[in-house]
Amino acid sequence: MKISVNWLKEYITVNHTVEEMANKISLTGIESGPVKLGEELTDLVVGHITSIQPHPDSDHLKVCQVDVGESKDIQIVCGAPNAAVDQYVIVALHGAHLPGGVKIKRGKLRGQESNGMICGLDEVGVPAQYMPKEFENGIYVFDEPQEPGDAIYGLLGLKDQMIDIDITPNRADTLGMRGAAWEIGATYNEKPSFKKPELLADKIKDINDVTVDVAEKKLVPDYLLRELKDVKVGKSPLWMQRRLWNQNIRPVNSIVDAANYAMIEYGQPIQTYDLDKLQSLKLTVKFANDGDKLKLDDGEKSLNHNDLVIVAGDQVLGLAGVQTSIEAAVDENTKNVLVEAGVFDGTSVRKTAQRHDLRGDDSNRFEKGVDEGIVDEALMRAVQLMDQTSDAKEISNDIIGNFTKAQPTIIKGSISHINHLMGLELSTDEIVAILDRLGFDIDVDGDAITVTIPTRRWDMEIEADLVEEVNRIYGYANLPNTLPAGMETRGGYDPKRELANKLRDILLGEGLDEVINFSLLSKQEVEAFNTTNSEYTKLLHPMTEDHEYLRNSLIPGLVRNVAYNQARKNADLKIFEHARIFQRATGQNRPDEITYLSGAISGNVVADSWNMTAQPVDFYYVKGIVEELLSFTNTDAEFTFVATDEYKNMHPGQTAKVLANGQVIGLVGKLHPNYQADHSVSDTFVFELNVDMIFDLNAKNVKAQSAPKYPSISRDLAILVEKNIENGQIVADIFANGGKYLKDVNIFDVYEGKNIKPNHKSLGYHLEFQNPNDTLTDDEVEKAFSLVKDSLAQKFNVEIR
Amino acid sequence: MSLNDTLKNLRENGIDEAKRAERLQELNDLRVNLLGKKGPITKALRGMKDVPAEERPEIGTLANNVKNDIQAAIEEKMTELNQKMVAKKLADETIDVTLPATKQAQGTKHILNQTIEDIEQFFIGLGYEVASGYEVEEDHYNFERLNIPKDHPARDMQDTFYLSDELLMRTQTSAQEGRDMEAHDFSKGPLKMISPGVVYRRDDDDATHSHQFHQIEGLVVDKNISMADLKGTLDALCRHVFGADREIRFRPSYFPFTEPSVEVDVSCFNCGGEGCRICKYTGWIEVLGAGLTHPNVLTMSGIDPNEYSAMAFGLGPERFAMLKYGINDIRDFYLNDVRFLEQFKGVN
Repeated sequence: MKISVNWLKEYITVNHTVEEMANKISLTGIESGPVKLGEELTDLVVGHITSIQPHPDSDHLKVCQVDVGESKDIQIVCGAPNAAVDQYVIVALHGAHLPGGVKIKRGKLRGQESNGMICGLDEVGVPAQYMPKEFENGIYVFDEPQEPGDAIYGLLGLKDQMIDIDITPNRADTLGMRGAAWEIGATYNEKPSFKKPELLADKIKDINDVTVDVAEKKLVPDYLLRELKDVKVGKSPLWMQRRLWNQNIRPVNSIVDAANYAMIEYGQPIQTYDLDKLQSLKLTVKFANDGDKLKLDDGEKSLNHNDLVIVAGDQVLGLAGVQTSIEAAVDENTKNVLVEAGVFDGTSVRKTAQRHDLRGDDSNRFEKGVDEGIVDEALMRAVQLMDQTSDAKEISNDIIGNFTKAQPTIIKGSISHINHLMGLELSTDEIVAILDRLGFDIDVDGDAITVTIPTRRWDMEIEADLVEEVNRIYGYANLPNTLPAGMETRGGYDPKRELANKLRDILLGEGLDEVINFSLLSKQEVEAFNTTNSEYTKLLHPMTEDHEYLRNSLIPGLVRNVAYNQARKNADLKIFEHARIFQRATGQNRPDEITYLSGAISGNVVADSWNMTAQPVDFYYVKGIVEELLSFTNTDAEFTFVATDEYKNMHPGQTAKVLANGQVIGLVGKLHPNYQADHSVSDTFVFELNVDMIFDLNAKNVKAQSAPKYPSISRDLAILVEKNIENGQIVADIFANGGKYLKDVNIFDVYEGKNIKPNHKSLGYHLEFQNPNDTLTDDEVEKAFSLVKDSLAQKFNVEIR
Repeated sequence: MSLNDTLKNLRENGIDEAKRAERLQELNDLRVNLLGKKGPITKALRGMKDVPAEERPEIGTLANNVKNDIQAAIEEKMTELNQKMVAKKLADETIDVTLPATKQAQGTKHILNQTIEDIEQFFIGLGYEVASGYEVEEDHYNFERLNIPKDHPARDMQDTFYLSDELLMRTQTSAQEGRDMEAHDFSKGPLKMISPGVVYRRDDDDATHSHQFHQIEGLVVDKNISMADLKGTLDALCRHVFGADREIRFRPSYFPFTEPSVEVDVSCFNCGGEGCRICKYTGWIEVLGAGLTHPNVLTMSGIDPNEYSAMAFGLGPERFAMLKYGINDIRDFYLNDVRFLEQFKGVN
């Protein structure tokens, strides 16, 4: 809402520029910005059209003689259809500046001299949608005679200065001029003063043509009506109109404008109805029947049983607190008026306004709350203004549908506790003075204070609210900077995060870039790598098909990253992600959140360069990264890699499950060529590891051993073996038979093809023996080596070469 | 020729030959030839028997001197030749150091995680625990326990992805507050925690919105927590992140789970408060929301607001990183173009 400074001056003294005020209000209360209308406007004056001649060379232009307060009338050519003799109008003189950088110059229009321009309101800065409808297609004409030559800015509010306040939902008390005056007054230590509205006693009559029944009393704590009889609806006075259009409210007529004006003053929405257009004089506030219709300018809304409505018999007069129907709208022919001031439940209003896409000034106020202590006063003010502008013959008393006497809120607090929570040591007097500035009543009893909060500050409920009021008015800038001074605490990560951090560092060290992907995937993506056999978890109301399901693997995101990069010529990629997947067993409601560390490597791992030959990624490169990772997990678990062909989008001959003590903790392998083709990625190897399972493995118990003192003895072994025998089987068997001094077995050669029996391969192993406590003899080693060879020959039918 | 002269001649010729040598082998040969047992000096000394006894010591001395002098000349030349050889080897081995290196690439930590960890480290130093909570959360913890009952308008501001009536993708890391307060044993001292993590909102993705983003929630519960503590903590944080010369200011605001509530602005790190495009010519940049925990929130967690008070704050790592590094599009964080990612090598 924009707080006009001129209007504000009716309530408090204003001594500051609008910029200073907006800044100070932002820091003590509500985010605000300065607004200065019409800064660019110059040379706009009142003109009086003294005569009009038709233009000799045009059928729509008129040649006007206009008195602009100078010794001679000036001639202006004007095209407005509504221009007429004896009108008082807006004249932009030669040299005038108009909005949008327009500058008026004297000149000739089809041969006729024109020394300025007669303007419409929109041409001098009033937005077209907020100016009176009658001037939409022409020049603006003052209702009453003005002094020719006088500046028009004040008359039309064209250079008004305002403070635009952007409230948080708890401060709707400032959505009225009076509430804003209290807030701004407190900021500057100025108590506002207000006139009480009064009605002419002799017009008050005991009339009640209408009766009203509020069916939903809980949702409508207040519902008051007044009748005005025999009004003369006309235009509202200019001072009222200019204030309304500067509030972005279009002036309509003297009744509707008065209702809107009272709303801006009090923050209490006021509705008006033409009493003679009601189909019944029995009003009811109730839930609509399904299918009831609300008639609007641009069609109708179909209502349902959740919509609170005001009806006259079967006629829907309006959605309570949201929108009135056009059926009983007050117009220039209206004689008898019904004026309504009600309070409607915020949630109900919000939902109805949302449902029908009708959020506006009224619903905005009810959603956030209104001052329930001034409903009757605001109604009286509206009626007073209506009587002043539309001259009613008779006015009714309040016709009460429901009325709840709003009570002030009593908050008990303690000076020391308030100080304590601020971190300040203000005196009782200082605190009392601040609360007094806000218009609260304070009772002090030693350290205890009892604060009585007027109904206009319905956001105030508890002592913490007092803390906020005192602290903000005192000034947050005056708070010292301290740190919590309690008992020492030990900061840090939880152990699982520590492990993850360590593992991430390994991957960074291996040259993998870290990525962060979205957790919500498409159906296709969750189906692609359901390696944990999880139920899919779907959002109730997804926004797009791309983000419909909770991810059950990090691999789809990584593949998307590879594709995105390779499409941009970033061919060589090493990336990883540390994040959660969501796993759910059948019948389980809430998915488990399991931390995974997954990676993807594509393209070359050694780039082609002046001194290196390109080396494309292969299975063993990625396996090496996984092994290095696992070696840093500080567990005593045995990690093994077992070939698998069970993942549909992985290469069936180049994928392994990763096991810890026989339990699957992840996978490593190549994407299936078809999947790669579908996703436009080149050969890509991926891995995923369940960090939670690694975390649960037993920690390694490292006991230091000195470096070996005695020399080792080695033997090389070359064997010919059938192709389907895996290295892992051979190595396991060598260890099983190599005796306690066999320390290490390394494969140094794998060969198949030329000179090798078909369906066979040649393997070369390097065995290293060592006794930590003594020098080994050749005899001991030879004995063990023979056992190894015998076993291999027996079990795998190998040929020792 | 006298023995004396013969020796002197040998010396002269020997030194001369040593000086002329061009290869180490020549010098080795020279030593063997001249100074060896079959060499001319040995041979010459066989003539000692013809020398009068009284002259023999003198000749002996001369002979030794001749040997030493030749030896010295050979060694000197050897050293010289050795030095030349080394110099040549070094010259031959000289390379172009401006040729590109053999790449030893380390990976780059995602800029969001660098930003988050920088903030985590700051708070760990102040004794805060890091607890990241659940991404799938109960309505109860995400809203109700934060003083946001069903039908509260604040729920409109945070359009939520629900999984069921009671389960949702958390919209704020504040959801962790209730869980941490429940789990904490206050007899062991204050609760000081930060909770970083991913949150979700029903937003269309564009340059400034993302349906998934990060937050870091902070919460301190103790017997004496004040607004001044909150201000001091956030002041230190903003100096840590945005530079030692920064200052902060509080502006009143509203969150259902804090009272008082404030928005926190930091003085513009670009213009130092003069006013520029980044701070929209105000000198200040809004960076986070904070406040004292609402007594209702404490009470719902079984904490007596008359005995304890608490401060809470929430910040957005995306916003911090965007401000600090001039990133204009939030989507860049989630596209993971490696050219984008790798420019942040080691910034934190």
